[in-house]
Amino acid sequence: MESIKTEITGIGWVTAAGMGRARTHRDFAMPLERMPEFRPENVFKEPFPNLRRMDDYSRLGVTATALALADAGLDTWTCKRNIGIVGTTVYGCLGADVDYYNTVIPNRGAQASPALFSYTSANSYLGEAAIRFGLTGTNYMVFEQHPTGLAGLHAALGHIARQDDDKILGGVCEAGCPRIFGQPDNVPPGAVFFMLEPVGSNPLPGFGILESLSMDKLLFNGSPVDNLVMLVEQCLSVMRR
Amino acid sequence: MVHTLLQMDTFHSENQQPRQAVVTDAVLVTALGGDIDTLWRRLMQKGTAIGPISRFPVDQEHYTAGIAAIIDDLKPSRDHSLIKSLLDRLMVQMGPVPSDATLITATLKAGIDNLEAVCRGNPSGFQDIPLSSLAEHISPQIGLKSNGLCISASCASSTIAVAQGAALIESGQAEAVLVCCAEIVSEYAFAGFSSLKALAPAPCQPFDRGRRGLSLGEGAAALLLMPAARAGREGRDRLGTICGWGITNDAAHITAPAKGGHGLAQAIDKALKSAEKKPEEITAICAHGTGTIYNDRMELDAFKHILGPRKRPIFSVKGAIGHTLGAAGGIEIILGLKALATLTIPPTIGFTHPEKGAEGQVSAETQAIANGCLLTTNSGFGGVNAAIILGP
Repeated sequence: MESIKTEITGIGWVTAAGMGRARTHRDFAMPLERMPEFRPENVFKEPFPNLRRMDDYSRLGVTATALALADAGLDTWTCKRNIGIVGTTVYGCLGADVDYYNTVIPNRGAQASPALFSYTSANSYLGEAAIRFGLTGTNYMVFEQHPTGLAGLHAALGHIARQDDDKILGGVCEAGCPRIFGQPDNVPPGAVFFMLEPVGSNPLPGFGILESLSMDKLLFNGSPVDNLVMLVEQCLSVMRR
Repeated sequence: MVHTLLQMDTFHSENQQPRQAVVTDAVLVTALGGDIDTLWRRLMQKGTAIGPISRFPVDQEHYTAGIAAIIDDLKPSRDHSLIKSLLDRLMVQMGPVPSDATLITATLKAGIDNLEAVCRGNPSGFQDIPLSSLAEHISPQIGLKSNGLCISASCASSTIAVAQGAALIESGQAEAVLVCCAEIVSEYAFAGFSSLKALAPAPCQPFDRGRRGLSLGEGAAALLLMPAARAGREGRDRLGTICGWGITNDAAHITAPAKGGHGLAQAIDKALKSAEKKPEEITAICAHGTGTIYNDRMELDAFKHILGPRKRPIFSVKGAIGHTLGAAGGIEIILGLKALATLTIPPTIGFTHPEKGAEGQVSAETQAIANGCLLTTNSGFGGVNAAIILGP
């Protein structure tokens, strides 16, 4: 296969260490800690009433995609755009699943919450981001067995290469595993999204070239990328130079 | 197995691009038939598997329906989910899979019955709950080298998984791809669709004027894809070709389809361009056809907008097997391939009085179709749409 190359033009994140975007924040961490309260309302210029009814996973994902779009100068729009989003996760919306099903149990379904049920598809938050920012491109979630956070980026690169989408967001969204399942905390909570575009198509200076050599081999500016945190750090080091 | 039942050719290389993805094996399980042959026969006999639910309590005072298409004798093993039993039934039908195949699974809720049990305080295995559990179950069973991944995009999950499989093959990133999808009927989903007032009180009636909502169903499907050249080299059967695909988002509403179907129309347009086909080459459509007021209207609008006013045979199988959510696309792609092989589409069960625009296209009877390509579409929560064009 031929290698696939795209340019990273924006990065946005919400992690247990804080939220930010690459052009305005120079420090990034994605610690394996409990996610503190965060205020996504500050990220959105216009009122976003749906934020209040979203589950934590959706709020994380929508906020990180908003920050990545802003970082790439693509957060304002008048006409809908052929921009896609592919996210990666391990646990997806399990928290919303539990919260919703706990409304089903009492009274045998009579109190099942349609509002909570709306967020029990792992891709629902992608739809919220699509509505908010007029993104009509490719749109789905990839569940990884072994969390590297890179599966969505691999897939996103493929969509750019095939010209399915003019631009695409690829990243990770993780709200952790609900305590009720008694699983060890092994995946850091948070969401990180990268804006990927054909090389040279954004007037803003890019962070570097992301290249896919095979299904499990990514390079950033020629250096191997093992995981998503490493990729953010590599991009930030370019900006610090 | 499907490859003994479809009218199959051995591989022909004429007019076939060497890296175009062909389907060389396909199997399925549904409530109306545990294999493709039985399902096809019962579809042609106008059968339906939609009936009263006994799997979980259905209080008619609380729910808007009490029916679904359930595989009666599907039972969980030990602390495993029903999804594992369903996958076992599926994979036992599958022929040999090359060990270099990449596994792509698709589901909306995987072992959601185990999540229900945990929430009710009943100890139950966690291993089947994450969506990646499908791959963890299948991959070692058939000796695949790759770990695999799972695609989830509500009711378009498996359509997108097949599209991604074909894309990996075309780009040279994979030499074979096994796509597996599965979904079970659960109280979880039933209560949710009931709360949205989306369930039909009687078996669903796709494209009918009197339709009142969807009926849930369960099922699974697996498709083995590989480049046309490899299939030919290895003397494999060719059930059909994944000619092109398109994936879009409506960017309009989180649970309802966009009025006018512009998102689906855009997905079909992308699929036509990707397949390098013209609208007149589409000779039949396997629609999502859920039986909800808005979905079916939206689909008819989208088909007309992109494919033009010419009438062509359209069918939906959801009146027979129910809406299998994340598995719907995979099952319907296999039925689409069967339709192309037999030049016949099955009756749309539940259809009696055509919705405006369905006249002369959707039928309660079997319809003959011309040689050409078949379009299959699915849409879902989050505003996602997926379209695939199948060829012989």
